[in-house]
Amino acid sequence: MGQLICRYRKGTEVRWISHLDVKRTLERAMRRAELPLELTQGHNPHPKMSFGPPLPLGATGDAELLAFHLSEAADPNAIKQRLNTQLPRGIEVVEVWGAPAHKKKETFGDVDLAEYLITIGGPVKAEQVSAGVRRLLESKELIVQRGGERPEREVDLRPMIHSLEVVRSGPEEAVLRARLTTGSHGGARPQEIVQLLGLENGEHVILYHRTGVYAGAEATAPKSRGVWRRWSRSRSGPGRS
Amino acid sequence: MKDSELDVLLSRVVKPARYTNGEWNAVHKDPALARVRVALVYPDVYEVGMSHLGLQILYHVLNSHPDLLAERAFAPWPDMEAELRSRGLPLTSLESRTPLREFDIIGITLPYELTYTNILNVLDLAGVPIRAADRAEDDPLIIGGGPGAVNPEPMAGFFDAILVGEGEEAILEIAQASTAPSRAERLERLARIAGVYVPSMYDATFDGAGPRGAVVPRNGAPARIERRIVEDLDAAPFPTKQFVPFLETVHSRVTLEIMRGCARGCRFCQAGATYRPRRMRSVETLLRQAEQAIAATGYDEISLLAFTSVDHSDIGELATKLVDRFGPQGVGISLPSLRADAFSVELANSIQRVRKTGLTFAPEAATDRLRRIIRKQLTEDDLFAAAEAAFTSGWSRLKLYFMIGLPTETDEDVAAIGDLVHRMVGFGRGALGGRQGRLQIGVSVATFVSKPHTPFQWTPQCSQEELVRKLDVLQKTLRGHHVKLAWNDPGSSLLEAAISRGDRRVGRAIEAAWRTGARFDAWGEHFSITRWEQAFDEAGLRLEDYANVALAYDDRLAWDHVSCGIEKGALRAEAEAALGGSES
Repeated sequence: MGQLICRYRKGTEVRWISHLDVKRTLERAMRRAELPLELTQGHNPHPKMSFGPPLPLGATGDAELLAFHLSEAADPNAIKQRLNTQLPRGIEVVEVWGAPAHKKKETFGDVDLAEYLITIGGPVKAEQVSAGVRRLLESKELIVQRGGERPEREVDLRPMIHSLEVVRSGPEEAVLRARLTTGSHGGARPQEIVQLLGLENGEHVILYHRTGVYAGAEATAPKSRGVWRRWSRSRSGPGRS
Repeated sequence: MKDSELDVLLSRVVKPARYTNGEWNAVHKDPALARVRVALVYPDVYEVGMSHLGLQILYHVLNSHPDLLAERAFAPWPDMEAELRSRGLPLTSLESRTPLREFDIIGITLPYELTYTNILNVLDLAGVPIRAADRAEDDPLIIGGGPGAVNPEPMAGFFDAILVGEGEEAILEIAQASTAPSRAERLERLARIAGVYVPSMYDATFDGAGPRGAVVPRNGAPARIERRIVEDLDAAPFPTKQFVPFLETVHSRVTLEIMRGCARGCRFCQAGATYRPRRMRSVETLLRQAEQAIAATGYDEISLLAFTSVDHSDIGELATKLVDRFGPQGVGISLPSLRADAFSVELANSIQRVRKTGLTFAPEAATDRLRRIIRKQLTEDDLFAAAEAAFTSGWSRLKLYFMIGLPTETDEDVAAIGDLVHRMVGFGRGALGGRQGRLQIGVSVATFVSKPHTPFQWTPQCSQEELVRKLDVLQKTLRGHHVKLAWNDPGSSLLEAAISRGDRRVGRAIEAAWRTGARFDAWGEHFSITRWEQAFDEAGLRLEDYANVALAYDDRLAWDHVSCGIEKGALRAEAEAALGGSES
């Protein structure tokens, strides 16, 4: 009975599948797995599901979150196994656990930070990358234009960069780790960081991989065990059941 | 192509998931282990092609055999085409990313006329010579099939063989023939398969301008190509492991083909004339297929496919049993094609759990006289009874399909569309009462296109000027609240008519249009009638000679060598009955 939360991986095989497509894929996999899903009332009943922050098209992730409701009690580990037999290559459920639903709050409403590994492939000058990172971190503000075809607006990304570091850099590729504000109140996109570094110039194959999402309380906490636990424990109300 | 190379391409195009594969129920076999490898191509964008049942059936039939392999490819959208061309990359299949030219067979659907330039584009992107005559010993066999095959002539020069009719059984014979040691032997074996037309074994002769002429065999190829038919539809293979694409496609649901063919005999309808006889699947078979398909896909809707699904003789029993079985798990049943009568609406009402957004009826013509001419068996009383049932069951939006330019049509017939729609609006406001604000009557007006193998194959399409004038009459009489009017571009109707009745020479115009950039002609934003006029001109032809000319009953026609089961004499009798105004 009640709400289950599932952490899944979105791999390179499905990196070009949009968030909306992933949602549909998971819903259909749940139907194929014949999970006893609780459906919404009304003309067009559908499973009650909510998702963590969407990944941008082209990105992969290890910390993708999904909450859903079952109409009868079930063992989370069995649910995980049944789901994994019905998922296409590239989407894999890593962990499932029970968590009481909060009536008023969005399940993942408190997620406000995401960590990305950004791999910049192709000929990279190590000094150029590290100098760029220093320049960004030393800036007081980092204004970018947003809005596409609509009237553009300016956003200051500097307060949304919680950390940015070069993990390694060599002649073949450079890897950056970025912790960025995310969530429904706005955030920074990893592509924008690459843009600010001047590396999005068509010469590089750039991979974005989300390693974790966090909730505010532990945004600056040092490494703890599982990514999802960090998110889970930081929630207000009862913790992991 | 390396993965990183593909990723660069994918990062630069819209909807990259069109090209990535890995969808649930896609079949991945080792190409090295297959005796015959077939690339199945639908010549439109992924989302359209993935909704095509024929492609899924053939994919299933081929892949069910351990030593055969089928993979898919679709027409790349112009952004992807530009990326492929600028990098010199070949078009590949989705599943194993094998270049199409490495397959033994490239099987391409001929869905309808405005997709034909995409076929040439796919061949060219595959690195295969577009003309059959230019192909070398090792090139794949290019084989066509599908609705357009009933007049194969416009595309005859681009195909090594074209299957006329249903492919469930013939595709295996074709795969077998492709294993012959030389190209010449492969073609000879193909020509011996019932329903298969090998254009290079025939000479086309022309009786002046337009589609008059004959196609005559050489070296013992059959004089008449008889359309292939699956006798026992109930026993025919049907895919229940249907694709579950990541992208939202035109039909994101289980498709159950409950019936093939139509017994209604509308005189303008090519599908009705060429998919005969009407065959039904049994309730027992359909329930079993539904069970398997829902378990294999996880879809939440089952669509009952047929030209008119309520014409299935056990439709009531089938619908009830499906609703009882699948309703509790939140799976809905839908009827894509309704007859305009109260029975149909009540049936739809009893099974459809989805939001009552709209119902579609096809009166085709607005006067009883004209409906008698085209043999559309529908009276105004039926239509209003259907509308009444719809409004009282909670629907507030109706869509009505009409045609203009039908044989014998007068301005009164055209104006009658406006009159009928206005009476429907008045009726709807009365019936809906307090909810009348939601009333919407969508009116969709197509242009009559004369199609081979129908009783109207001799009848011309009216001229462009006449068509524009008729549309003007229509727009003047069709105004006001609650009405939304949509109509076909006259230019694209002209092209459709010209290719529909085209002969082998029209292929030259199709090639010329493709060379000057024609692609996705069915998509308004890509269509240019000027480009097509120039292409026909370059080929020494005129669109009007094919579209707008009345043919004589004893003319030899460019598609007479294809038989769809109705003799020319019977079509003529129907045509004469129509133009005398009586029902045959």
